[in-house]
Amino acid sequence: MKLILEKSVKGRIGYSLPPDLFEDIKLEDCIPGYARHKDKKNLTEVSEVDVIRHFTELSKLNYGLDDGFYPLGSCTMKYNPKINEKLASLGNFTYAHPLAPQETTQGSLEIMYNLNKLLNEITGMDEYTMSPAAGAHGELTGVLIMRKYFFDQGDERHKMLIPDSAHGTNPASAAMADFQVIEVKSNLNGTIDLSELERLMDEDTVGLMLTNPNTVGLYDEGIVEIEKIVHSKGGLLYYDGANLNASLGILRPGDAGFDVVHLNLHKTFSTPHGGGGPGAGVIGVKKKFIPYLPTPIVDFDSVKKQYYLKEVGPKSIGMVRSFWANFPVLVKTYAWILSMGPEGLYQASETSIINANYVLSKLRDYFKPVYDRYCGHECTLTGKEYKKYGVKTLDIAKRLMDYGMHPPTIYFPHFEPYAEETIMVEPPESESKEMLDKFVDTMIKISEEAKTNPELLTTAPHKTPIRRVDDALAVKNAILTYDDELSFQKK
Amino acid sequence: MRYIPNTEEQKREMLKEIGVSSFEDLIQVIPQQLRWKGKLNIPEALSENELEEKIDQIAKKNVDFFSMKPLIGAGAYRHYIPEAEKFLLQREEFWTCYTPYQPELSQGTLQSIFEFQSYISRLTKMEVVIPSIYDGASAIGEAALMALRLTHKNKVIVSRLLHPHYLETLKTYLEPHHTEIIELPYLEGLSNLEILKDTINNEIAAVIVQSPNFFGGIERMAEIADLVHTKGSLLINVIVESIALGILKAPGEFNVDILVGNAQSFGLDLNYGGPYNAYLGTKKQYLRQLPGRIVGETVDLDGHRVFVMTMRAREQDIRREKATSNICTNHNLNVTASNIYLSLMGTEGLYQVSLLNTKSAHYLEDLLIKSGKFEKVFNYPFFNEFLLKSKEDINIINKKLLQNNFIPPLKIYDFYKENNLKNVLLFAVTEVLSKENLNKVVQILSE
Repeated sequence: MKLILEKSVKGRIGYSLPPDLFEDIKLEDCIPGYARHKDKKNLTEVSEVDVIRHFTELSKLNYGLDDGFYPLGSCTMKYNPKINEKLASLGNFTYAHPLAPQETTQGSLEIMYNLNKLLNEITGMDEYTMSPAAGAHGELTGVLIMRKYFFDQGDERHKMLIPDSAHGTNPASAAMADFQVIEVKSNLNGTIDLSELERLMDEDTVGLMLTNPNTVGLYDEGIVEIEKIVHSKGGLLYYDGANLNASLGILRPGDAGFDVVHLNLHKTFSTPHGGGGPGAGVIGVKKKFIPYLPTPIVDFDSVKKQYYLKEVGPKSIGMVRSFWANFPVLVKTYAWILSMGPEGLYQASETSIINANYVLSKLRDYFKPVYDRYCGHECTLTGKEYKKYGVKTLDIAKRLMDYGMHPPTIYFPHFEPYAEETIMVEPPESESKEMLDKFVDTMIKISEEAKTNPELLTTAPHKTPIRRVDDALAVKNAILTYDDELSFQKK
Repeated sequence: MRYIPNTEEQKREMLKEIGVSSFEDLIQVIPQQLRWKGKLNIPEALSENELEEKIDQIAKKNVDFFSMKPLIGAGAYRHYIPEAEKFLLQREEFWTCYTPYQPELSQGTLQSIFEFQSYISRLTKMEVVIPSIYDGASAIGEAALMALRLTHKNKVIVSRLLHPHYLETLKTYLEPHHTEIIELPYLEGLSNLEILKDTINNEIAAVIVQSPNFFGGIERMAEIADLVHTKGSLLINVIVESIALGILKAPGEFNVDILVGNAQSFGLDLNYGGPYNAYLGTKKQYLRQLPGRIVGETVDLDGHRVFVMTMRAREQDIRREKATSNICTNHNLNVTASNIYLSLMGTEGLYQVSLLNTKSAHYLEDLLIKSGKFEKVFNYPFFNEFLLKSKEDINIINKKLLQNNFIPPLKIYDFYKENNLKNVLLFAVTEVLSKENLNKVVQILSE
């Protein structure tokens, strides 16, 4: 379909502005010539109706969570409650200026304050910062806190242990904090190899970044020993909260000895992904790390009876963003927790774990599990059996689209030698048994198609708005704006 | 629970199918001593109605911000946002979908991002545009790290008139790399070019200058670019109030190497500080060192033009610790918001809103000076923000403004502890303040 820039008709407008009542003021008198653009910058010229039609049409090319099954592993694509959207967009919140006097923003501050208390209880931590804008931003914040802590102890450490199954953001975040990344191999059970960990963990190592259940969807059975090994060398445990949806009311990371945790509020806590954010990656710490949190945090002044933004102090790692938080995401999180209550949170994790194990047990004969054991809230299967028919996991994923479903996460995790051609299915608590049965039946059907008509898969999808995409050409041509001389349109 | 469809009966059936007798059998691998026993100590579940009432009550502890006209900006600007934008954005297909890794199911998001990249390229004359880093401050951190990689140098010069939160964030991002940060003083409300001339040398990776700067002043970017480039450094230009791009020269024309733009003014709500979004522009030759996601044009199997996330070999999910950044989830929905905003405003609208901001800010400044209650602090050209020194105590002034439904201007001394900035206010004026509003402000402050 055409770009909105290609729909321009000279003279059309889509905006509404008050009349210019400042006739006496001349632009030339305000802005010097050297800084002024000589004419109007060309964007597009379209009406409001054109815009409504264009973006409505565009939206229909997307597949959203409300359209159907969205079992992306490690992404927790759970239902985004509608009431939460309404509450987050109350005018008193959305029009609040971040630097308005704090007596005018008591409501916003109270939300942040209350949410901190709830998250502490849910995860067993002592204090949260609401600053980080996303999971990876939280990771960076977390590892900087760990770094500063060691620096202050006069114990500069240079290495960070990261499991081979970890998200790519973990090593990338550690590298941004200038740590040397040391990979910890998984054992035959798909979890941390304890003897390997013991060998690698030394007094130059900051600690271990761990996801639990890990990115294969498995609870680490060695968690008690892991904690001992890391802490015995003075190291710290970092918890990647991407998979917290398996742990609500079951296992609090704080109780398992984690020192620093990040939570992806856009995963476990039901806030929407928005096509890749904005989410929030809040960081929780144990007491002794509170002085290192990014500044500021919210506190309550019991004398003035007022919430306020408190400077963290001289040990703080500093600011990690402008202003305070991705605020509406916090409102939605707060609303979700209040709607669920303690039983609801437990049920969310219980149901998601049952869902994942159900899918695993139903599909195990068709798509071999990477590890043959009960899983957490997601299960990792492989499509490698179908390679002999010339079908890759990618083809299976694309074929799933023809049946009206979003594919699971594929080719992740992809560490050798166990995990190859992986299909990671995360069916969160908001998915019903009927939906899972439909998914299972579809996957079985596709497994048959792979044997009898592999071409149907290798050329899939067939029923989506567009067909399979030439990634290599995109890299080769590097057409990154409409005006590029190489533009396909102009050829 | 209405968000969890499976009934207890269904769960039992599923457990049976799995081959276990209870849920406990599935989680036996979790050591018993770590298990949380009993209920979490959080409030019992609220019904939807109770929830709405509760949060509405909390929201009411804020003032009625919609009716309060802001005289403050300082990195967050209230502009008119067309209702059509807000309406379209809430379509679930944009709102609830995942990062567009599967282009066959994500052309809406992908094309929208490509359109935004094109708009920003036109507005800034930068060849390549990364559409989304979390915000201007974190984008500065990313831009500086990129400059260190490109130049293999480890010093940066930063104008003191960079937004203080951006400067603090920059320090946080650079701290692990032991980068020397040299602060460039200001003169008459603009970066001091004489000192820049004396300070710059071949060891400097980048010079970071915001324009319009934190005091509102429009910097002499062309001269700065010349100075910076003579010593082989990169120029990082920061735009915090993007509406200024409607009338100001494009940074690309000044030969800026890396542009960091806060996109908040392009149709994003204030939201008490976030989520905003930042775009990052650069020259094609630096493409491979860019952090973050980018969308490119290609074709599908049928030969149709389609869009896809591209140049991915820089990213964390592929390169892990060798990636150009750790960024993964960014602020893509805000990219679509800004794209819709820029489409609605269009060529004429963006120019007009930019013009209106300039004129109304200059109108207010002029009247306040004429009132005799304020005087200029610096003699500099500005866009829609300016400093004025008050003859009356600014705390009293701000109280009066608040009582009259205006969010008061920023007390600049809160950020710059300098004697000459005591009792000085940083005013911001956008198109949401009518001429009548501005006259009212003058009237209140002249009493």
